[in-house]
Amino acid sequence: MSKWYSDSGFQDDIVLSTRIRLARNIKGIPFPNRMGAEDGKKVIDLVSDALSELNYKFNLIRLSDISEIERQKLFEQHVISSQMLKNTADKAVFVSEDDAVSILINEEDHIRLQCIYAGAESQKAYELISKVDDFLSERLQYAFHEKYGHLTACPTNVGTGMRVSFMLHLPALCMTRLADNLFATVGKLGVTVRGMYGEGTKSSGNIFQISNQVTLGKTEAELSTNITDIVNQIIAKERELRRRIIQEKGVSVEDKIMRSYGIMRYAKKISTEELAGHLSNVRFGVSLGIIKDITIKSINEITVVTRPAHIAETGASTAFERDVKRAEIISSIIEKKEE
Amino acid sequence: MLCSICNKNKATIHYKTVTNGVAKEMHLCSECAGEMGIGDKHIDLFGDAFNFNSILNQLFSTDDKKLSSINGLKCSGCGMDFNMFNSTGLLGCDKCYDVFAEQIETMLQKTQGATSHNGKISGADREKIKKRNEIRELKSSLQKAIYEEKYEDAAVLRDRIKDMEKGGEDIV
Repeated sequence: MSKWYSDSGFQDDIVLSTRIRLARNIKGIPFPNRMGAEDGKKVIDLVSDALSELNYKFNLIRLSDISEIERQKLFEQHVISSQMLKNTADKAVFVSEDDAVSILINEEDHIRLQCIYAGAESQKAYELISKVDDFLSERLQYAFHEKYGHLTACPTNVGTGMRVSFMLHLPALCMTRLADNLFATVGKLGVTVRGMYGEGTKSSGNIFQISNQVTLGKTEAELSTNITDIVNQIIAKERELRRRIIQEKGVSVEDKIMRSYGIMRYAKKISTEELAGHLSNVRFGVSLGIIKDITIKSINEITVVTRPAHIAETGASTAFERDVKRAEIISSIIEKKEE
Repeated sequence: MLCSICNKNKATIHYKTVTNGVAKEMHLCSECAGEMGIGDKHIDLFGDAFNFNSILNQLFSTDDKKLSSINGLKCSGCGMDFNMFNSTGLLGCDKCYDVFAEQIETMLQKTQGATSHNGKISGADREKIKKRNEIRELKSSLQKAIYEEKYEDAAVLRDRIKDMEKGGEDIV
């Protein structure tokens, strides 16, 4: 097991990752938005003490002890949230030795346990995160309400405190412009869909995050099954459309994919914006079997390690140098996997 | 499609929020999205409090009279008052859930479609709570059995409830 973006998983030709998050707080200590520095330190110490008794080892990273670039890198790897970039006081993260679990301390809640796996692996992720949760709940006094369950700073997380999120790559649904309709339909089923057109251009990835909206009133298993069923239906639709696209527009699609592959492999400089579109095409090509000499794992790796902080860490200081470095890293990952 | 805010640029960011089955769509250009803090340059796996404040405002701003009476509420545990809760969407401590119980109840019904937890049980009282929940479930099965005139099943259920309630005293 290693970081999610350098591992493979079930249905990973469409599902980049599965993340399960459990929000927890400690009884008697104000939530992070109302706590003082002493309380903040106390939470870190309490969790640290509890984890020291566990066989599964964690490393503590205090966010105020590391550089901004290192924090940004953790964010790009989805280890910490954007909220933890801005204000680092008394914020920390415990990362498990195998990188599968991270425990965010003093983010919106005292404790946010999260597990990320490559592919569609909600069951595996829940089993692991639930074990860590059981262990902590025996050693820490969680804020637990008989009626409302696990208490959280934001009532939209109360009860199970559980959010299951799948990251999906849906190029065929986007190409056929069916994505909006489909999302409107699944939206009625208590599901949140977030578009990943983050770069301000339409071709910036075709990646979506799909997660459960409700956290209360149902068991963890029910919540997980609901969202997994919906995601499976989206995957089935995407697969059906991929088959149709290949049947109807085989050569044009293949041409687009191979051109992008050529650019990624041979370009001498490339910006994040330009890369996003090509990366989506190449990801599509790899999952269709059109590009056979690299794996989805390599694509995921490229997705993460070409992000700005990862490039900045190599020492490239100007935009030009970063674009050159980015192109170098991409071709070296592609070449490496071909051997 | 044009941006629904400025109506000038092409909408490239499409957001959808769903609250209790009601979907709200937004189509924005990158500029307007940037101003609204939507469309981070990174793929954000987090950000669960997304748009929560506006949802909360919508929930509470409808009834002005009631609002003025709850404005005075303040949590003795952390000093959080209703205005702060309303503007941030966040509660300050575990006690807040009892102080603002009435408002939270209404809100949960609307946003979560439920007001009581049905999942994993944690905390020092977990055994006690588990047992109480089990007894509650058995009692509802008992009523159902009586309603359906399955008296033999009902007798079995009744005895189990009795046994558990006896055992329960040891735990409480």
